Amino acid sequence: MTDLTRRQLLERAALGGAALTLPGFLAACGGGGIEGSATTAATTAAGGARELADKLTISNWTLYIDIDEKTKKRPTLEQFTKQTGVDVEYIEDVNDNDEWFGKNQAALRAGKPIGRDLTVLTDWMAARMVRLGYVEKLDKSAIPNAKNLVDALQSPGWDPNRDFSMPWQSGLTGIGYDPERVGGEITSVQQLLEDPKLKGKVTFLTEMPDTIGLLLQLDGADATKVDAAAFDKAIGRLQKAVDSGQIRQFTGNDYAPMLARGDVWACTAWSGDLVQLQLENPNLRFVIPEEGGMIWTDNMLIPKGGHVFTASTFVNYVYDPKVAAQIEAYVNYICPVEGAQEAIRDIDASLADNPLIFPDDETLSQVAIFDAEAADNDEYKQKFQAVVGA
Amino acid sequence: MTFVRRHALTAFAVAALGYLLLPIAVVVLFSFNDPAGRFNYTWQGFTLENWRDPFAVPGLSEAMRNSIQIALLSSLAATVLGTLIALALVRYAFRGRGATNLFIFLPMTTPEVVLGASLLTLFLNLGVSTGFGTIVLAHIMFNISFVVVTVRARLVGFDRHLEEAAMDLGANEWTTFTRVTLPLIAPGVAAGALLAFALSVDDFVITVFNAGATVTFPLYVYGAARVGVPPQVNVLGTLIFVLAAGLMLASVLLQNRRAKGVT
Amino acid sequence: MSFLHRHRGAVPYVLLAPGLAFLGVFFVVPIYYLANTSLQEGSLDVGYTFAWAWSNYTDAISTYHEQFVRSLVYAGIATLLALAISYPLAYWIAFRGGRWRSLLLLLVIAPFFVTYLIRTLAWQTILADEGPVLSALTAVGLVEEGGRLLATSTAVVAGITYNFLPFMALPLYASLEQIDGRLIEAAEDLYSSKLQAFLRVTLPLSLPGVFAGTLLTFIPAAGDFINAELLGTPRQSMIGNVIQSKFLVITDYGQAAALSFVLMAAILVAVLAYSRALGTERLAR
Repeated sequence: MTDLTRRQLLERAALGGAALTLPGFLAACGGGGIEGSATTAATTAAGGARELADKLTISNWTLYIDIDEKTKKRPTLEQFTKQTGVDVEYIEDVNDNDEWFGKNQAALRAGKPIGRDLTVLTDWMAARMVRLGYVEKLDKSAIPNAKNLVDALQSPGWDPNRDFSMPWQSGLTGIGYDPERVGGEITSVQQLLEDPKLKGKVTFLTEMPDTIGLLLQLDGADATKVDAAAFDKAIGRLQKAVDSGQIRQFTGNDYAPMLARGDVWACTAWSGDLVQLQLENPNLRFVIPEEGGMIWTDNMLIPKGGHVFTASTFVNYVYDPKVAAQIEAYVNYICPVEGAQEAIRDIDASLADNPLIFPDDETLSQVAIFDAEAADNDEYKQKFQAVVGA
Repeated sequence: MTFVRRHALTAFAVAALGYLLLPIAVVVLFSFNDPAGRFNYTWQGFTLENWRDPFAVPGLSEAMRNSIQIALLSSLAATVLGTLIALALVRYAFRGRGATNLFIFLPMTTPEVVLGASLLTLFLNLGVSTGFGTIVLAHIMFNISFVVVTVRARLVGFDRHLEEAAMDLGANEWTTFTRVTLPLIAPGVAAGALLAFALSVDDFVITVFNAGATVTFPLYVYGAARVGVPPQVNVLGTLIFVLAAGLMLASVLLQNRRAKGVT
Repeated sequence: MSFLHRHRGAVPYVLLAPGLAFLGVFFVVPIYYLANTSLQEGSLDVGYTFAWAWSNYTDAISTYHEQFVRSLVYAGIATLLALAISYPLAYWIAFRGGRWRSLLLLLVIAPFFVTYLIRTLAWQTILADEGPVLSALTAVGLVEEGGRLLATSTAVVAGITYNFLPFMALPLYASLEQIDGRLIEAAEDLYSSKLQAFLRVTLPLSLPGVFAGTLLTFIPAAGDFINAELLGTPRQSMIGNVIQSKFLVITDYGQAAALSFVLMAAILVAVLAYSRALGTERLAR
């Protein structure tokens, strides 16, 4: 991501934005006038009305949407406001799924609105929100662009018809390592667990879906439908590696500085982090283990009390390939919108060919989505937390 | 040998200060780093860019401003409330004193995650929406105890005879308090205030629960750490400290000038 | 003022009222909720119900006593280390600081201006496996060959010590600054050595500060979780980590609350024993 790219991006956005997305938007709104822009439906009224609210409040992870560092504005959101008249309050207060849930659970359990129209949560947490009924149904009639969703993500087990959620970004979990320090190639999680050369130089993730998912793949077990015996076996292998000192620590994304500094030589890692780390140290590598890796998706949801129509309109907006490309050029995770790969060639051709941002079908066939139900299983969580250090 | 003994204390103190400030030196150093990506983990090259444009990162300066404002407000309130409590606990023998002494420790013993969540539940039940105000309230709450304990340490060693002397000389209670007591316990009160300020500006867990849409500096950093902490974070942290140090330096020099003027 | 003259006994209560009222609302009420939660059982799916679930408490102690003990031990060691480092520093600032005292105190809290995460990252850079500090220590023999500084119990205790230094230094300073230098002079005039003067005059007079500093360090350190999380392995996990996990990850709010109360009780017992030992009736006057 260079400054040049962003400047190009802005030029094109300014020129093309209005011309290209307006027709799309009109189509989305059923061809009628965009009269909703000035109406005063309450921002967080449970959306029955097909009117746009004055304001849309979005909760998202940090740096998960494009931003112009010179003007400090977010082009995608600005354009949305220009087209629909809806002010966007964009709050980057999702640091961690569990922390977000812990913060909002009291209100959610009491059925009170949490002051957000849209929030972005990872698969298993999204599954929990749907299961417990803490989300509103999307207004699909406002999201014709939903047809642009890539096939692989059309029908997750926890929301088979995508009634409640739409993917925002995806990411791969695999192995990040420094071939120079390791002194060779790493192709399997087995090496992380057992190679004596790597003792004390390995970290695993505190996210159970990622760590256990990879271990299940290693054992040849199904990560999409977790079997209790397979889970226990994976836990056993993990505990053994912890006890022997093979595994140095369990980390969130703080493995990144460790990998950069050489405290860690190989770890389970997220693709997006490696894209950034490679800018500092081009030697670092991200690989999907030969036995299989994991793919996770962060999903847009409407918490109970959010304005359904306005939020759905926004979802439709970001599913326009041109808009998606604009976001992707900055965010550098995996784009769920079909057509964005072509659109992004206009912005930065190298991004279009980056397999970590637009993985090909072969890559996608090597990764699995972790069983969302198992991810929220209390017994599994207890066992995993005991290994990680409670 | 006497040279060593005389300067041993200074050497130790300087070493202790060095130990305290060593990571700060690293932080300042990395504020001049020129990272290729979003992470600021390894040294890649010197640049003054970050310093030329410290407010470049959107949201960061606002977060810093929020943190400073919250810290000033909450430490002020906590210092006032805490000093009053400390005065009562040390000076007066009253029913419930032992219990109050013990009660004061309780907020410090409570793990932040459950305290923050329970406080949020209170705000929820009261219908108070979370934001700047609730953060200030939360910070005052946990700061009071620290101020009480710090000021109490000072008050315990306080010589009451000075107050008696003032009153013998005709001062009433209020004048004695403001002209004798307060100035003498001021360093203790200041120490308590400083501690409260530091606690507030650095708090994360309780703040995360009660912040609503407001972002404070620690919240910003924790959120950004997931994808990359810009060097401007280092710049702003350094700037704020340098600013505060500059103010203190100025006041010291001003006092010197005034002292010289008098003599 | 004459009101207070006539109602002398009311003065302490008037002084206490604002602060205690504030805490009454913003601390006691939340703690009440927490106590209520600690006796609940259930889960997100079936809901939580109040059921006098004392098992939350018994399970807490039986399952996690290791982490409880470890937390108190780490906090204790960190407190002693902080005292050892802070006392001379506070003494120096109080007696030799002169005009520069306020500036020096600012330096003491300077680390708090950059958040915890940033200063820990800086320490990790300094103590990195491939960094100069480790190489130097290995060469000297203080660290065994192939050893490391990070991700160890040493790192966790060092992290706790470092992050709580101001909590020890500031109360110590407040107490030391008050000591009249002439008392020490008098002692020395009366033929005591510098060491004796310190032990017989300064140290006893600074005990209130020592008492305050050790409490302000030990109490919050016992509940700390972040140092163990970032600087330790699973073998260093403290009770704070367990409570974090129970609350946020496992969403077992009942157990998290019960664990919190057990921790609070454990700390209070330790504090009471410590106060008794130090004879704080004198100190609190």
